[in-house]
Amino acid sequence: MQTRFPNRVMPYLLLAPMVVVVIIFFIFPSVESLQLSFFRVSPLGDRRLFVGFENFIRLFTKPDYLNSLWVTARFSVFVVFVGLATSMVVAVVANQRLRGFSFYRALLIWPYALSPAIAGLVWGLMMNPNFGLGSILLKRLTGIEFNYLTSSTSALLFLGLAATWKMFGYNIVFFLAGLQGLPTELLEAASLDGAGGWIKFWRITFPLLSPTTFFLFVMNTLYSFFECFGLVHITTQGGPGQATNLMVFNLYKDGFIGMDTGFASAQSIILLILVAVLTLLQFRFAGSKVFYQ
Amino acid sequence: MKNRRWLIVISYLVMFAMILGACAPKAEPTATDAPPAPEATDVPDAPTDVPAPTAEPVAAEPEPAEITFWHAMSGSRGDVINAIAERFMEANPHIKLTAEYSGSYAETLTKALAATRSGTPPTIVQVYEVGTESMLDSGAIVPVYTLNKGEVDWADVVQPILKYYSKDGELYCMPFNSSTAMVYYNIDMLEAAGIDVGTPPTTWAEIEEYSLKVIEAGLAPGGFSMGWPAWILEQTYAMHDQLFADSDNGRGGLATEVYLNSDFGVKVLTEWQRMADEKVLVYGGREYSANDPFLAAQFPFLIQSTSSLGGILGKATFKVGTTFLPRLDGDYPKGNSVVGGGCLWLMDGTTPAQQAAAWEFFKFINTPAETIAWHKETGYFPATNTAYEQLKAEGWFEEEPNHATAFNQILGGADTPASVGVLLGNFVQIRDIVGAAIEDVVVNGVDPKTALDKATADSNQVLSDYASLLK
Repeated sequence: MQTRFPNRVMPYLLLAPMVVVVIIFFIFPSVESLQLSFFRVSPLGDRRLFVGFENFIRLFTKPDYLNSLWVTARFSVFVVFVGLATSMVVAVVANQRLRGFSFYRALLIWPYALSPAIAGLVWGLMMNPNFGLGSILLKRLTGIEFNYLTSSTSALLFLGLAATWKMFGYNIVFFLAGLQGLPTELLEAASLDGAGGWIKFWRITFPLLSPTTFFLFVMNTLYSFFECFGLVHITTQGGPGQATNLMVFNLYKDGFIGMDTGFASAQSIILLILVAVLTLLQFRFAGSKVFYQ
Repeated sequence: MKNRRWLIVISYLVMFAMILGACAPKAEPTATDAPPAPEATDVPDAPTDVPAPTAEPVAAEPEPAEITFWHAMSGSRGDVINAIAERFMEANPHIKLTAEYSGSYAETLTKALAATRSGTPPTIVQVYEVGTESMLDSGAIVPVYTLNKGEVDWADVVQPILKYYSKDGELYCMPFNSSTAMVYYNIDMLEAAGIDVGTPPTTWAEIEEYSLKVIEAGLAPGGFSMGWPAWILEQTYAMHDQLFADSDNGRGGLATEVYLNSDFGVKVLTEWQRMADEKVLVYGGREYSANDPFLAAQFPFLIQSTSSLGGILGKATFKVGTTFLPRLDGDYPKGNSVVGGGCLWLMDGTTPAQQAAAWEFFKFINTPAETIAWHKETGYFPATNTAYEQLKAEGWFEEEPNHATAFNQILGGADTPASVGVLLGNFVQIRDIVGAAIEDVVVNGVDPKTALDKATADSNQVLSDYASLLK
């Protein structure tokens, strides 16, 4: 049944704030970025030179940028898959009716309360190669030298872990909400048929949870592409060398430290296109496998 | 029932999370337009309703003005700046000076240029030495020499500092926090290793030799580390009188190419790589992060800016010695260490009253009393000869010999084009390129020549882009 607004203007008025916000904070800057990406701009912005596609050509012929793409890809895959897998396991465990679990469940969500920069600070201190408790314990217990300042592998792994941990709470909240919404009859029926926990999880819980998983898949991808800037900025600064130079950090460096606005705009356009394409692909392929009740 | 309660708990937590997230400190300080009331409170950023002093007309007083001063001095140095600002306003009640911490050096420069672009520049901005060429070419500044009507004798400014910030013999910004790099060492650790600390190391080879002794004695896992590695590389060039870029390091005109992959550059990085492989060189990050492990006795030597002296002396639990930057073995000419740190620039687009007030401030910080206080509290150079002589007369340097090291180093060097300091367009980006190249060499094991060839090509590209925009 359709309801009608008594007033023709009213719907537009209600929509207006959102439209204005989108225009001011999204459409307008994007258009300006697109325009700037064809220019070479002086630091003060007062002189600009039209250079056509030069910024884009340079990006894709520059080993550093290609490396940045590769680093971002590895980071993103880590954050999305490790993050979703671990938080799903923890959510399933936390969903059991055990004494005191409501308390633990509340604790699990805490990391989400932190901004990426704070998460970076916490992890940076904890894993500081000289006086970090985490790195010292790791060395004492396993003999592994974990130095994110001087080892490229450690640095990327370190960032991946910190980023995953930060998103952990968010993922668990959604997974738990999803688990709470599952129809218990199905699981009970399966139990009566003699299905074990493992089979119940893969045959019933996992498929029924797929809308949540898919939503988190998209959110985590966006997070790993855009929001981890603060983490990198506080801890590794893209180093050692170019080992943790995520695309968004590279953009910041070129645009805000190097003041090369045109070059940075080109990167923002690439980032925008990349994420748009990824999200479309996810909806196209993963989305079709999602089972909505 | 239980489920519902659970969901309520979650939603509360999420709200809590969002609130915390919103409260999380941001890198960007909030720009307060409200000027602080100097006598009402000692909290520098407290907004106030007190009207501007125009309400109390004093016939003899000069025109009142409100000026802003953006700086990059965090922590204890920021407190020192706030104290200077208060003393200044006490001495000049008609001026309201708002000193604001505006982030790191790079962020401060970017913000100042962005603010200028949008027509609301700060009156004074502190820019690090790397930003000098960009400021000179920006067309957004008022050179300080144009303000000086004979009140300040520039010849009193310590020569290497004066030269660094001058172009064609004219001074463009007000020297404030000048520093250079030097070697800090842990006297206790060296003595324990049986090394005579009366003769501190003068060459890289000696640093390596002493480091190995310390490591072999099991006193520390490493030998030395550096703050600002890309800057230390520039210092090493200057110490050996090697040009870093063409056009006399950009002093005789815009530089168009850097000499990073010269034999000298490759030699230095090859040495560094070898020492990193021996675990003598401990890589310690790009700015000040190497200070902490030095203080934690992880290695006996630290090559760092003199501006860390105050902090290191205050925190060290061992006796600290300082000495000149090391030289390479071989027949290299004598050069000098280069001035670093920051300089105060007066921005264009400010009112004449503001510019006059800024000039008052510049004269204020240039007084011997302020220069001496700043030096003692931070470790930065006393920027004028008068202040230096006064410090000497009161016996400060005998009392605190570590405070004399860098000064003796910079005054004892040769005065050649290669040792004045490099001026490069968009030097900030080139610093970053060099920083990454050094990390590639000492951490990732990339061949020094390969890394430097790439860094040279990238830097030259930056320079040609920069030049193309000036035409």
